[in-house]
Amino acid sequence: MGKGRYLLKRLIYIVFVFFIISILMFWIYKSMPGDPVDIMLGSSKTTMKPDAYQALYEKTKASLGLDQPLPIQYFAWMGNMLTGHFGYSTQYKQEVINVIGAPMFNTVLLNLLTMVVVFVISIPLGIATAVRKNGAFDKSVQVLTIVGYSIPTFIIALLSIFLLAVKFPIFPISGVRSAGSTATGLAAVGDMLWHMALPVLVMSVSGIGGITRYVRAAMIDVLRMDYIKTARAKGLREKTVIYIHAFRNALIPVVTVTTWWVVGLFGGSIVIESVFLWPGLGKMLIDGLLQRDFAVVLTMQMFYVVLSLAGNVIMDVAYTMVDPRVRLDG
Amino acid sequence: MRKDKKNKRSTAAVAAQRMVLGGLPQEEEEVLQSPLQMVVGAFVKDKIAMTGVVLFTFIFLCCIFLPFFFPIDLYYQDVTQANVGPGFGMLKVPSQLKNNAQDLSVGSSFSVGLDKDGNVYEWGTFPNEKLKKIPSSSETGKLVQVSAGLDHVVAVNEDGQIFTWGNDRMGLASIPMDLRTGGNDIKQIYAGYQISLALTEDGEMYNWGSDYLLSISYPEGVQGNIEKFAASTNIVMVLTKDGEVVPLTNKTSAYTQIPEEIQGNVVDLALTDECAAAVTSDGRVYTWGNNIKKGLDVPENIQGQVVSITGGRYHFTAVLQDGTVRGWGDNTHGQANAPKDVTVASVDSGYYANYAITEDGSVVAWGLKGYLMGTDDLGRDLFRRILVGGRMTMTVGAIAVIISTIIGIVVGGISGYKGGKVDNLLMRLTEIVSSIPFLPFCIILSSILGNSISETQRIILIMCILGLLSWPGIARLVRGSVLAEREQEFVTAAKALGVKEFGIIFRHILPNIITVIIVNATLNFATCMLTESSLSFIGFGVTEPNATWGNMLTGAQNGQVIENYWWRWVFPALMLGICTISINCIGDGLRDAIDPKSKER
Repeated sequence: MGKGRYLLKRLIYIVFVFFIISILMFWIYKSMPGDPVDIMLGSSKTTMKPDAYQALYEKTKASLGLDQPLPIQYFAWMGNMLTGHFGYSTQYKQEVINVIGAPMFNTVLLNLLTMVVVFVISIPLGIATAVRKNGAFDKSVQVLTIVGYSIPTFIIALLSIFLLAVKFPIFPISGVRSAGSTATGLAAVGDMLWHMALPVLVMSVSGIGGITRYVRAAMIDVLRMDYIKTARAKGLREKTVIYIHAFRNALIPVVTVTTWWVVGLFGGSIVIESVFLWPGLGKMLIDGLLQRDFAVVLTMQMFYVVLSLAGNVIMDVAYTMVDPRVRLDG
Repeated sequence: MRKDKKNKRSTAAVAAQRMVLGGLPQEEEEVLQSPLQMVVGAFVKDKIAMTGVVLFTFIFLCCIFLPFFFPIDLYYQDVTQANVGPGFGMLKVPSQLKNNAQDLSVGSSFSVGLDKDGNVYEWGTFPNEKLKKIPSSSETGKLVQVSAGLDHVVAVNEDGQIFTWGNDRMGLASIPMDLRTGGNDIKQIYAGYQISLALTEDGEMYNWGSDYLLSISYPEGVQGNIEKFAASTNIVMVLTKDGEVVPLTNKTSAYTQIPEEIQGNVVDLALTDECAAAVTSDGRVYTWGNNIKKGLDVPENIQGQVVSITGGRYHFTAVLQDGTVRGWGDNTHGQANAPKDVTVASVDSGYYANYAITEDGSVVAWGLKGYLMGTDDLGRDLFRRILVGGRMTMTVGAIAVIISTIIGIVVGGISGYKGGKVDNLLMRLTEIVSSIPFLPFCIILSSILGNSISETQRIILIMCILGLLSWPGIARLVRGSVLAEREQEFVTAAKALGVKEFGIIFRHILPNIITVIIVNATLNFATCMLTESSLSFIGFGVTEPNATWGNMLTGAQNGQVIENYWWRWVFPALMLGICTISINCIGDGLRDAIDPKSKER
């Protein structure tokens, strides 16, 4: 079976999973207590006459499509979702598509930067500890990484706020940009990076801890292989052996872990966003839940589901890229 | 079955004999070790893992057993004890005062004392810095009485001039003109919750500060006829010169239902935050009000002997005819455990502590000494909350792991053993569940389903959500191990014997892969604790008033708390950190112990 067919098969399967999860979610949201129409109409209930309110209520309900039977509501909603109509946010009084742009940018930016930081630090660190295994350097990194991935991110967040924002006020405690900042261009980018420093630092710690350990374990396994001995016996430079021959093979298990870590990272950033008041998707999800804004919550949830499934696809593709031997006929 | 033999006396002879005899059992000298025993043996030698075991077991045992010795009322709150730092200095009377005390007064988390020369001493934890600015003696002259309140102090000198320091907002600094100049004989002063009270010998009462909580109103004919007053955060009551108890309010409450038979006969009066007590001239104590903290349960054997009474926040202390003291009411901090063998001259009670000056002039103190880990913004003892919070966090984690392990074993076991279509179906199911974004889904489920249910049901819900979403990892692992084991001879043997499939999977294969499952469950336990804490931290897990280590940190999210009230986040964070690190170390150690190959790493 060729790579193309395999990937197609996976894609079809993933679309299937997507629909199952979306049905599950739709069912959960529909069983939520609280009436979105009442919430949308807000104070009109007390200010309007009962029969006029009833008429407005029915009208709003029909305009939101809430008077249809559930399966029809689901398909209407799915159709809208696939065409980018994520529904009407009762909280922002706007189409959801119009309000998720900025938060999505913020979240993706935060997570991408974290990924860059984590990979830049953990992969060389993992290789270095594997090469010098059981030395003093390796031992101390081992201890630090186990501490790093064991401690919950919000504790690291509190610690870093205490140290880097309160005791030594180097970085701002929260937000995206300085209040009243009118900076443009490069200065605005700098200001944003300065605000991102703490959240990125906090999110990186557990990632560095986990991935360094995986890279190290995978590298140690690979370095014991015969082909590494062969490469060394050939007289290749140690750098070539490690970075070209060994590392590429060590990447296979690392890819799996990394994919799951990235998916988890986006989910975990909900906590970080709420600590650092970072206006991203996680904060929007929480606000949406508190405000009973179904459309926003559903969209956010869909985003996380799509992200998780995309992670699966990327993992499959990445396997074929890092290791041509991987036969994709599972 | 893999049974490794270990030779205890590994001499060359035995080795040679073994080479000849192959794998035959060598009776006496051969000790048969099961895989589990081997794992335990290797694990015990791992120092880091054993440190983890010791630390975790210690915290675990503390959380399970210490709450029996430090009981907690989850619904208890007390703003007067809010944000008190850790320490036990509240009852540490300065040595200069020990034999020379004139007057002592218990404040919210600090105390103030006066020696016979009129010098003022303060000790304990101060709610604000202004309290430390004691006016100099050149300014005040010789002070004769002091009273400590929530966050301010009132004092009077021998000329009847009143002074105040500490919190000066809410009008606490605006002492009435008559009292500022002196010349009155002040009989009693009182610093309360944002209010100050003073009573002259003529029976005139003055109050200044905020009377928002107390809404003092003087019934006709009371002013000028007051013998003594008592105050709590809810009400002020006075004892008139005719021996009658009069509440200074026009609202009816449990406090105003004064027993008729004592009117005209009362000699002393005291209030707590939920009830009132009066001593009549025949030495009996009458109480009325609410009885949640047992303030109404006067010990029978002191009736008829009581001469005076004082009240704290939820307890009473009575002085008997022979000079001994007795306490009753709330005893959370030992404030009702009056010392048995002292003869006192005067007693002052307030909040959660008492001071008594004995007849020979020394000072005895009992009650709240302080908090080991401080208190939170609602005045709750952090140490007690950490103990029950730990119990909650661990219970939620443990039950979630049990749920996920059981599901994982069943799904993985059936999938691995059956193979084919069943395997395919179950693995797709596993994949679907593992595709569900974990944290967002937990948040949504707990916020939607957790809306209309009780707190206990909510906790059970959290356990189930965690358990139901975290089994795919274990299921995959079990499936893999079962796939490897099912081709072994012992399975064929079991099949030949006619053992049912269910029996083969769970009675024959499972014991062989149990070590792998244990390791995974251990690591999963740490993950579940972390997830529960994260959920509770952002407010979608276990909610107040139930404590978990996660929701104890919720209130510590802003810079002010992080900077000024460090104990509110350091202690829960430390506990949670130590526990998860320990569990991960244990898991790692177990994994190394199981997989001999990993020792080379």
